[in-house]
Amino acid sequence: MGTRTDGELVRAVLAGDTEQYAELVRRYRDRYARFAARMLGSADEAEDAVQDAFIRAFEQLGQCRDPDNFAGWFFLILRNRCLAERRRAVRAGPGVDAVSVPATQRADGPLEQDERRRALQQALLELTPEQREVFVLKHVEDLSYEEIAGRLGASVPSLKMRMHRAYDRLRERLKDVL
Amino acid sequence: MTTVFHPLVKRFLDGELRLADLPPELHAEARAAERLLGAVDRAAVTLPAALEARVMAEVRKHATASADGAARSWWHRLAEPREIRVRYRLWTLGPALAAAAALVLLLTPARPAVEAGTLVAATAPESAFVRFVLFAPGAHQVGVAGTFNHWDASAAPLARTGAAGVWTATVALPVGQHQYAFVVDGRRWVNDPAAPTVDDGFGRRNSVMAVGAGARAL
Repeated sequence: MGTRTDGELVRAVLAGDTEQYAELVRRYRDRYARFAARMLGSADEAEDAVQDAFIRAFEQLGQCRDPDNFAGWFFLILRNRCLAERRRAVRAGPGVDAVSVPATQRADGPLEQDERRRALQQALLELTPEQREVFVLKHVEDLSYEEIAGRLGASVPSLKMRMHRAYDRLRERLKDVL
Repeated sequence: MTTVFHPLVKRFLDGELRLADLPPELHAEARAAERLLGAVDRAAVTLPAALEARVMAEVRKHATASADGAARSWWHRLAEPREIRVRYRLWTLGPALAAAAALVLLLTPARPAVEAGTLVAATAPESAFVRFVLFAPGAHQVGVAGTFNHWDASAAPLARTGAAGVWTATVALPVGQHQYAFVVDGRRWVNDPAAPTVDDGFGRRNSVMAVGAGARAL
């Protein structure tokens, strides 16, 4: 028997075969983990966000208009979760962001490069969530502006405006290491 | 010293220009931009396999609670007499058609809600027939999709009526709250401008209606 499509799995879960949901979790557990980790600044927070997003997706599976596009729908749930989390963190004040994304575990480059990587990750957390989101999708996930626009339902010019403001803020923040 | 990137360097960062496309006086700035992108961490992040077990534990809990809730609610529906009221609405393609839609409503009298509701209440107290009406003169195909049919746009097609541009369908809906939208020509999702909408949590809005005892829009 061939691999079941996302749409078939979603429809099976909706029909009462709850255990099929595990296959969707396995399929997408890591796919968006990097996005969440860069958005939130920590692999641990990414894990919480991905877990919450899967539970929320299950609770609202009946609202998934296009079961064959479960991945895109799930991404939006995770993305909203990340944006809400970052706004909450900003309100909580500074000092809550320990940059523990894999940057701290790497030894694959010169020290200067490593420091710059950490500085950039910290600076990303100081952008607005919307600016950071565009930066991460374009420069970490390697999506084009058109692809990002399709995913988020935003226009390309508005995404570019967000991104260009992000460039300026990053340059200001990183002027000592660039 | 300025700390913002020149607009041409921003286009360089966007991948629209190459270093050779930039005037020489911007090369130093472009190299700083390159160092910025060189610091981007693209390493994959792998989450622990235990996450799957935690998610599924919550999913099973939720599924069990839903089944218990449905059983309780079924018993209450059997045990308690209730009045079923059905809302009739006219959907339009946009505010510009609102006046025309109102006219269609006047020219196309819907059955009194009590008549349909009474009929249904006598036979199936847990559900009610709802008549969907859409004024869509340019449409070739119209369906209604919602939480009641897993958002399947082909599950409940509307049919043209005698009045020009008016599409209708009568659908049996369970008592309760339903989110929905019309799907015009298989691709255009249209909400009811006269109905309340709710955030679907993913950046869009759905129309919402309630069917049940003392039903009213949320």
